[in-house]
Amino acid sequence: MSKLKIEAEVNGRKITRETEPHKRLLDFLRDDLNLTGTKEGCGAGECGTCSVFVDGKLVKSCLMPVAKASGARIETIEGLATPGELTPMQRAFHKTGASQCGYCIPGMVMAATSALRENPAADIEEIKERLGGNICRCTGYTKIFEAVEMARSVIAGDLPETVLEEDKVGDSYIGANVRRLDAPAKVSGRLKYAADMKLPDMLQMQVLRSPHAHARILSIDTSEAEAMDGVACVITSDDVPGTDGFGVFVHDQPIMARGKVRHVGEAVAAVAAEDLVTARRALSKIKVEYEELPGLFDPEDALKPGAPVIHDYAPGNVVKHIPVRKGDIDAGFAAADIVLEDDFSTQQVEHAYLEPEAGIAYVDPDDVVVVISPSQNITHHRHMLAEIIAKPINKVRFIMSPVGGGFGGKEDMIYQGMLALAAMKTHRPVQLNFTREESLIASAKRHPSRVHYKMGLKWNGRITAIEFNMLSDGGAYGMSSEGVMRKAAILSCGPYEVDNLKVDTTAVYTNNTPSGAFRTFGGMQAQFATESMMDMAAEALDMDPFEIRRLNMMKIGAKTHTQQTLETASLDRVLDAAETASRWETGAPNVRGAKRGDLNGPDTRKPCTLGARIKAETKSKNDAERVA
Amino acid sequence: MLTYDTYHMPTTLEEALTIWAASPEGSRLVSGATDILPWAREGRAGDVHLPELVDVTRISELNGYAFENGRVRLGANTVYQDFLTDRVLMRNLPCMPYCAIWFADDQIREQASLTGNLVNASPVADGTPAVVALNGEIELARLENGEIARRRIAVVDFIEGPGRTQIARDEIATAVILDTASGYGGSFQKVGQRRSLVISVACCAALVKADHTGRIFEDVRLALGGVGPRPIRMYDAERALRGETISHALIDKVARSAAELVGSRSRQDYRREVVVNFVRAALQDALADQSDVEIKFQDTREQAHV
Ligand SMILES: Cc1cc2nc3c(=O)[nH]c(=O)nc-3n(C[C@H](O)[C@H](O)[C@H](O)COP(=O)(O)OP(=O)(O)OC[C@H]3O[C@@H](n4cnc5c(N)ncnc54)[C@H](O)[C@@H]3O)c2cc1C
Ligand code: FES
Ligand code: FES
Repeated sequence: MSKLKIEAEVNGRKITRETEPHKRLLDFLRDDLNLTGTKEGCGAGECGTCSVFVDGKLVKSCLMPVAKASGARIETIEGLATPGELTPMQRAFHKTGASQCGYCIPGMVMAATSALRENPAADIEEIKERLGGNICRCTGYTKIFEAVEMARSVIAGDLPETVLEEDKVGDSYIGANVRRLDAPAKVSGRLKYAADMKLPDMLQMQVLRSPHAHARILSIDTSEAEAMDGVACVITSDDVPGTDGFGVFVHDQPIMARGKVRHVGEAVAAVAAEDLVTARRALSKIKVEYEELPGLFDPEDALKPGAPVIHDYAPGNVVKHIPVRKGDIDAGFAAADIVLEDDFSTQQVEHAYLEPEAGIAYVDPDDVVVVISPSQNITHHRHMLAEIIAKPINKVRFIMSPVGGGFGGKEDMIYQGMLALAAMKTHRPVQLNFTREESLIASAKRHPSRVHYKMGLKWNGRITAIEFNMLSDGGAYGMSSEGVMRKAAILSCGPYEVDNLKVDTTAVYTNNTPSGAFRTFGGMQAQFATESMMDMAAEALDMDPFEIRRLNMMKIGAKTHTQQTLETASLDRVLDAAETASRWETGAPNVRGAKRGDLNGPDTRKPCTLGARIKAETKSKNDAERVA
Repeated sequence: MLTYDTYHMPTTLEEALTIWAASPEGSRLVSGATDILPWAREGRAGDVHLPELVDVTRISELNGYAFENGRVRLGANTVYQDFLTDRVLMRNLPCMPYCAIWFADDQIREQASLTGNLVNASPVADGTPAVVALNGEIELARLENGEIARRRIAVVDFIEGPGRTQIARDEIATAVILDTASGYGGSFQKVGQRRSLVISVACCAALVKADHTGRIFEDVRLALGGVGPRPIRMYDAERALRGETISHALIDKVARSAAELVGSRSRQDYRREVVVNFVRAALQDALADQSDVEIKFQDTREQAHV
């Protein structure tokens, strides 16, 4: 492959480099120029983290072959301000708190900068439109929009520069705008996430993943891949020296598939090579023979007698069953005037943190195996890895790199083990950066769940009994299922005092993508059922939904579902605030007609419209014509 | 991941055609690369190795635009953002700014060419119905005995089905030729999952010219995308409106007839309902977009629905 010569101006400096012709501008900036403030959130034009200016126009560098940049003037996040300084836009992001994990933020700052360069007077609608190509998963957009409006007004001289300065904190930090310490590193693109780090002599890892949901592995032939020029090692589960198995509760998951694969996308083998292209080519040379097994794709099928068994240790396919009992359920239903029964289901959800999984492992001179990754649970990972690689705990070290969003999805040790093995086998640093697609296919998801619900009530709205039965699809491995089921059971019937209840939550194994931790940890699925049921009960009893909730809510002294006596309770205040904020019209949920005053109020998000700038353009044209 | 051995950046059409004709089988032309790069990823084509890519964006003959007999010839390097920044194009192609604003996002529009969108021939490409409504043609060039030979094909015929067009192996698209429609009102309707960065489930472009009284449809152009393998120009609907008095009742009637045009097999009921609403909204928006005439409907919207 002949090299391509790139001459360009990058952040005000002339550069000349030889590089591989197939690189994208994104790769060139990150790998060849070490300008890692430009991120790769998706590699497919969807997220905006890779936005840079080329000849003054903002583009997505993941969609630009590097040759297009030759002769061009390129500006990246690193070039917006001189070192040590921040632009008014960056300072406004700092001021409004518009950076959480920060992974989207360099791209956001670039898009915001572009918006004001294109139209220094852009109004909020136009700002939203011009930031439409950038996704944020944690800050949310409100603070970002606030920052852009603030910067616009400061640059235009409509607001004094002092608004960008830190607010004074009075007696309490609560309710005060407290600045994030790490925001300057994020808004300037200087913060190094795992994929941004480089070590001398570092290898790149790629992972061969299962195309089958459930199959026995008959053989893995890595010889051809191993013989390739530039390949440093190929690893499979045979390389694990210790007791293989990890998981947040039950250690049922091997570092790489051992004997069989249990879901599509499960790691089967991994290659560490001099560069990414070689590693990817080597994957295609690994031969795996599979014998397909019948799969389980529905949690109900998993419980049927004679169902395929996914893990030998769990012949009934149950990951965990959590029962909660309180009072006398039969008496409770007998005392009811009305019994409602329904089913609720929620779907699988991907976390979609903007930072795809990434990590580095190396063996230090004292034979300490070091893993750097945005793990949400490094201490537990360290203990598990020590067992897996058969090393004492003082020979295993985990360093947590900045987490570019996790939301629970980075609790599972799904790649750190492979990195450690390859580093041990080669004694060289090894890096693995997931693609977005790989992150989607290999990481845990929110549990899809079904709840069968039975609720008994008095005519006055008081709940007499609840039977709550949740079946969750745990997917191929246990991961956080046990904890999620426990939390779902504890929170099952919501913040309502129920004297008689019977709650069962069960997660089962299937051959779907594993389910794991995700914000609320099972609470969301349970509350969807409970709160829907409360509204349906209000409707059945012709009651106001706030009223039925106030009647049943836990107050100080109430006993929770797990029989803890509450010393504080705040649901009354929450309900008051929600009722006011929503401008709720008192009445049963089904009596509102066309005159609903609670809809489309001042703080309701308006439906989507685009074209703010076309309107602005037409208006200016008409004005111009009128002047002339 | 897309890899290739050579990336050419010719600066003249002749040079490009020569390189292109000589390039090994499997080589590709590339403009903005916004279709090609995402195509070579997991879940789609996967890892792809191509011998050569021939980039057309530095060919000076493909830049800019020129007017010719009531038509505008857009060089193949015209990108979507141009329809939002060039006032002359905005005025003469009134449906294009609305098409562009719904297209991808600001960054991608700087790269994505109208020509690439047409040659890629996705059934849900946003540019296709807008171009078809403007009686668009595509100009193709090739070398014949060392001379540049050009031909033009109507875009409705050029696109044969998903990913299939009439372009020959040795041709490069050099321009898109459209009617100018200054004085028309334009609109574009699109449904997808969110506001930016969405591929259409279905889309509809409209151009409307009312007479000077604001009461009569003088001319109407309507085209649909995403409802069949090829773009659809709604000639029957146009005929039913042209010369008629502008009324909500008539718009509704014509809109309802559009349901018949839905050919896509997936989500058919949904697409039918969408298309009816689209045609209605497209006509109403295009009427409202007409800046120099005040539109006077014969009836009120309420009357039309009884
Ligand atoms: C995130 C994202 C969002 C998108 N949103 C939209 C959307 O909203 N609506 C929509 O319609 N599309 C959308 N697209 C698709 C894409 O951006 C468009 O189809 C775009 O117009 C393609 O143009 P391009 O110049 O980038 O084409 P390229 O990728 O460069 O090429 C596309 C095809 O055309 C061929 N080609 C290019 N130029 C020529 C030429 N001069 N002569 C002959 N052949 C040529 C290429 O060989 C290739 O087959 C989106 C893409 C992404 C990544
Ligand atoms: S848009 Fe380029 S990495 Fe996501
Ligand atoms: S701060 Fe935007 S994705 Fe995390």
